[in-house]
Amino acid sequence: MTQHNGRARRSRLTLGTTVLSIAMLALTACGPDTSGEANDDAEATDFQGVEPAEEITFWTNHPGGSQDIENELIEEFTEETGITVNVVTSGANYEETSQRFQTAQGNAEADVVVLSDATWFPNYLNDSLIPVDDLLEAADVDPSGYVEALYEDYLYEGSHYGVPYARSTPLFYYNIDHYEKAGIDAPPETWEEVAEVSKQLMEADVANSAFAFPPQDQYPAWTMANLVWAYGGAWSDEWDFSPVSSSETIEALQFAQDATKDWANVASGDPADDFSAGAASQIIQSTGSLGGILESADFEVGTAFLPGGPAGEGQTPTGGAGLMIASDSTPERQLAAAMFAGHMSSAESTAKFSQETGYVPVHVDADMSAVYEETPQFETAVDQLERARVQDNARLFVPGGDLELSQALQNILTTDADVEETMQNVQTELESLYESDLAGEVEQ
Amino acid sequence: MTAVRDGSGTEGHVVGSTRSVAQDSSESPELAKARKQRRRRRLSKNWSLFLLFAGPNILLILAFIYYPLLSNMYYSTLDWRLGSATATSVGFDNYVRFFTSESGLEVWRVTGIFTAGAVLGSMILGLLIALVLNKKLPGRTVARTAIFSPYVLSGVGVAMVWNFIFDPTLGALSHILNFFGIESPQWYLDEDWALTMVILVYVWKNLGYCAVVFLAGLQSIPQELIEAATIDRAGPVRRFFSIILPLLTPTVFFLLVTNIIFSMTNAFDVLRTMTPTGHGTNTIIFEIYLQSFGAYQRAGYSAAIAVVLFFTLFIITAVQLRYVERKVHYQ
Repeated sequence: MTQHNGRARRSRLTLGTTVLSIAMLALTACGPDTSGEANDDAEATDFQGVEPAEEITFWTNHPGGSQDIENELIEEFTEETGITVNVVTSGANYEETSQRFQTAQGNAEADVVVLSDATWFPNYLNDSLIPVDDLLEAADVDPSGYVEALYEDYLYEGSHYGVPYARSTPLFYYNIDHYEKAGIDAPPETWEEVAEVSKQLMEADVANSAFAFPPQDQYPAWTMANLVWAYGGAWSDEWDFSPVSSSETIEALQFAQDATKDWANVASGDPADDFSAGAASQIIQSTGSLGGILESADFEVGTAFLPGGPAGEGQTPTGGAGLMIASDSTPERQLAAAMFAGHMSSAESTAKFSQETGYVPVHVDADMSAVYEETPQFETAVDQLERARVQDNARLFVPGGDLELSQALQNILTTDADVEETMQNVQTELESLYESDLAGEVEQ
Repeated sequence: MTAVRDGSGTEGHVVGSTRSVAQDSSESPELAKARKQRRRRRLSKNWSLFLLFAGPNILLILAFIYYPLLSNMYYSTLDWRLGSATATSVGFDNYVRFFTSESGLEVWRVTGIFTAGAVLGSMILGLLIALVLNKKLPGRTVARTAIFSPYVLSGVGVAMVWNFIFDPTLGALSHILNFFGIESPQWYLDEDWALTMVILVYVWKNLGYCAVVFLAGLQSIPQELIEAATIDRAGPVRRFFSIILPLLTPTVFFLLVTNIIFSMTNAFDVLRTMTPTGHGTNTIIFEIYLQSFGAYQRAGYSAAIAVVLFFTLFIITAVQLRYVERKVHYQ
């Protein structure tokens, strides 16, 4: 009996080991390549002799509720070229679209995909995107017409990896009724002036707060880049993260912390809601919020350029999304995808898209007169593009960099945290993230 | 082995074995061979039937539970960016990092507070509601439905509604507090208040489940015991602690296990909707999301945390089954 049990146990053990070995082999076969051999066999395609495919697939989250206008532009494209575009709703937002594209690992079946300023870089690192420079040339798309700062967002190591599409920048919004009650004639041009008019607004007791900073989950590192730049600071300089704790950055953030004790607060949710409800007199929010604010506000809304500071006039960080082309597609589909991206970002298309969504036009030749007539505030957003500046690597390219910055900013704005110490910790964290997750893969 | 139907299982086994040995020694080799063949055919038939009925389910379980589980264990040994075609094998480094980093310890702290608050809150309130619903009051069926319904609602929808209530500037709660001259706490900006807020919402959503299960437990308690205790002049408190609670221990045990598992795994929708970046509410399930999809793109590290969560729940369940269940008073 004991002998029989022993045999049975050995037999079960052998069976278990075999099953586990097969399972592990299957797992390693299905997972990522861990051999350590770099995949350098990709060769640049000469698109001059390539014929465009008759059908492509477009992954989009319909940014800014753009489903209808996207369909209209796609119909135009199909009429002009005969190329059919299969539209796939790839997520509810940019993050979901990128997650889906990343996790598909070459099986995405997407030829063109909408990726935001903060989500395209991991896809570049995964070799999922193809440079568009040669493709645009083969597709007869002239990139010189794009707003320079918006196109340069996709420049990395000498190549562009996308074309601008649903782009936005932060904009200064103010409540004209509150300004009139407080006796303020014009919006501020510098942060010092913001402090002055805000104190006047608080004295006039027109709102809960004269100015609302965004909370951690409303991209404060994006909108507050303007404040930091105005004082000569930055989140980073290329891959050097020391600017995040420089005296200029600390001075700017100290100004913000002091403001929260006097004339500013931090919104609990979207600052646009507080502004629309009249709870905050001034905010800095995306140009994409303009339509919603105008719809829900029962007062006259004013828009102005972002404030400047000791370092110069106010600069606005770029944002929003572009159109990227998948590296796994065939050259024929890639060429058709480039034609499609060119069509969606043309002067005519971007004007229509801006009119329907509130995103800024990405082409310098876009005729925006109809939009300005209907929404004069939008002209400020477009004119401000002259002051657009590409965002710092720390927020855009370091995985988790935006979250680290956002957590630190909320800590500074809602507690008595020491600004210098907090930002030094952020610098250490950013350097650590860079060393562990990026250093081996990016050009120093 | 011949089955003996009129004895205990043990006796039947011994007797049957003895008979079987006796038969084996007396029968011819042909008969023994024929019996072996019959047994093999019966076994084969049983196996075929088993595979026919259980096979599809086993395949589904293997494909959708055990294969991902084993895959995840394998991925947890890699330094792998989400979606990358290449990765580096790092052994147990991801586990070491999670258990030794400050952020890992913070995740355990938040998970502990959330789980304790959510489980105790749901169970204590659920029990109190069940005690009320167990009484013959008018409209109790409607009350039961109303109390259970949040449990079956979408977590995202529930969280969105509560977002409107908790908003310190525009929310309903702030207006009520202001009416009494109290300033609304900064539910979203202060880490401690954020954690309190999500615990409150989770308890509200989950207590209907606890109440219904407790109610079922209460209704299975023999009324004669309660009546006898009442005749013996035992008051409501004494009856509760000396009769009702001891007889409810199987229900308490069941709810404790399921609530711990649910609060560690099923609360993600509420947490993600109310605090999108996990400010103050970064429990272990949220950290899994944050490390891979949410911000850091670390698929390998995230997989390691998922494995830790799996074994944590496995150990909690095993310990409870092994030691706690012994002390449970079954009727």
